[in-house]
Amino acid sequence: MCPQSTGAPSLCSWGVSVETVYFIILIPMVYAAFAVFVLGVVIRLVKLFREPNNPTTLQIYPEKRPRWLWALNDTFLLPTVRRHKPVFWVFLMLFHICFLLLIIGHLELIGDFRFFQLIPHEVFLGKGFVGLILSVCVLYFLFRRFSSPVRELSIPEDYYLLILLFLTIFFGSQMDWARRWYDYGNLSVVEYREYVLSLLYLRPHVSSDLTSSGHSFMLVLHVFFGNLFLMFFPFSQLMHSFLSLPMNKLRRG
Amino acid sequence: MEQTTRDELLKLFQSKLNEAMRLYLETCTRCGICTEACHVYASMGQIKYISAYRHEIVRRIYKKYFKGRGKLWPSVGESKELSERALEELYEAAYSCTGCRRCMVYCPFGIDTQMLMSIAKLLLIGAHAEPEILTLLADTSIEKGKSLELFKEGFLTGIKNLEAQVVEKWKIEAGEKAIPVDVEGADLLYVALAGAHSIVPAAAVFNAAGENWTLSFFEAVNFGAFVGDPTKTKLILDRILDEAKRLKVKEVCICECGTAYRLMKQLSGNQTFRVSSITEVHARYLREGRIKVDKSKFKEPVTYHDPCQLARNAGVIDEPRYILKHLTHDYREMSPDPRYNWCCGGGGGLVVLGEENLDFRMKSARVKAEQVKETGAKILATACENCHTQLGNLNSHYDMGVEVKFLSSMVADALVR
Repeated sequence: MCPQSTGAPSLCSWGVSVETVYFIILIPMVYAAFAVFVLGVVIRLVKLFREPNNPTTLQIYPEKRPRWLWALNDTFLLPTVRRHKPVFWVFLMLFHICFLLLIIGHLELIGDFRFFQLIPHEVFLGKGFVGLILSVCVLYFLFRRFSSPVRELSIPEDYYLLILLFLTIFFGSQMDWARRWYDYGNLSVVEYREYVLSLLYLRPHVSSDLTSSGHSFMLVLHVFFGNLFLMFFPFSQLMHSFLSLPMNKLRRG
Repeated sequence: MEQTTRDELLKLFQSKLNEAMRLYLETCTRCGICTEACHVYASMGQIKYISAYRHEIVRRIYKKYFKGRGKLWPSVGESKELSERALEELYEAAYSCTGCRRCMVYCPFGIDTQMLMSIAKLLLIGAHAEPEILTLLADTSIEKGKSLELFKEGFLTGIKNLEAQVVEKWKIEAGEKAIPVDVEGADLLYVALAGAHSIVPAAAVFNAAGENWTLSFFEAVNFGAFVGDPTKTKLILDRILDEAKRLKVKEVCICECGTAYRLMKQLSGNQTFRVSSITEVHARYLREGRIKVDKSKFKEPVTYHDPCQLARNAGVIDEPRYILKHLTHDYREMSPDPRYNWCCGGGGGLVVLGEENLDFRMKSARVKAEQVKETGAKILATACENCHTQLGNLNSHYDMGVEVKFLSSMVADALVR
């Protein structure tokens, strides 16, 4: 039932309840986002690597061997950034490490992986600081684009992605912060885990605990922006996460 | 621009797309690490000379015509129509880039600007907007390959006139030829440039080392590569490959021309002969004791400019230093890491354009001039024709107070029995 109309148009007045919107974001959109993400990435990678190789080497000298090891070094430790932009390098490394920790955090919603618990921790790991560091890093990446010469190099895609990433991380972290730092106990890992597993086992279910809490909108916004991010991923420069290694291998010969 | 022209140009664009090219086109995050990499930006400070900015000029057209995104949501990637204005931008980007690939050392992904600029250059050829002189010179080279007989006699007379100069540098036995040409079964085929400076000192050193060598009919320089025409590049290269096969040589030695060496070494495919630069050959002669040089010949401090195509892009880095340690007591390194040596500003065909872009070449290579000055050297050695010309121009423009010398002629001048 819709409450008494206050004059302003609301979702409700169009016959759409908030619950419906929550439901669409939390279930069909998540499936759609993952489908676009996985298919998009796979199709792009397959198409790319079926292209013919360049007839000549694209190597830079002096060469160092073994080449694959140096290519790994270039890909994961970003030595060129460390040398030329040390401050940026610190943020980049922090960002990528924390991003990896967040992925682990989300995987731990699926189940208890003993491997991840080598250092015992609560889910999500990092006591809220992972999200905090990530938020700060993304803001740094965004703000550095506002000043020349990176401003002139940037295109809308770069801003959209960073804003999307910030919103996703911020709303996601906010749930963690609320629980850890402000003793907000209404939403916990138990509810998230139930939701994620229901999605995984294709028996999607959104419990009322998840949608009736005062912080539910944060979860929904987190999932909404996360979905958009995943759907944009295969078509954007974010593909660098898969393409950096083969490219660095080209440079190393 | 007419639709048919555009379609033709897009076909050319398509022909450049392979795995590496798509990786370079699709991965840039515009992080700006490459900002300080380009000597043109470092010297002139204009945004349009930052590598990533040059990339985007090509990339925007790519997004428009080769990616779904460019059609569905063009604004997100700022995809751009291929128009007359776009061609002007492509020209500006491609012919202010020397293809030195210094930016590739900075980029966290190793994006190759020279590769992306090769698309721009090909589109310009398709639109007949490339520097005409480069195409003209490339066509002349190809014509020479087709009708060798026509110019053979003139060439042989020219070579004969040089022989006295060779003997002046290094005496040979009576009956021996100072500059052997067309010798079947020679061990080494030397591919020079059209000019005594590229032939005489090299010949003297070959004779001093007792090399069984022969001079190529063709000049090493590849204008096809400068103008960015893959077909012409291949035709020009093939003339030399055919000659090497005909004469059954064991080694093809490329004169002091960075582009020619890199092309022969990396583009000629698997051959029965080995490919060397003259710098490598001279270092080998010294190492094996086949030639001796006078270390006190050059009294003033010497520095060496690494030609980008020879060093960063083809790996000839230790050899020139080895040679110079035999030629001087006072060798001064220009940059602690040869990968970071500044480009002279003359590569990619820019120097060939001569007076037309002299002003740009001088302004864009300010950092190079400063780098040379900082060494305090009085002799500036290099091993590339283009670099030599450009450094000579820089020397007078910036009053660098050095003598620009070819490494090979320094070796020839210092030869002792």
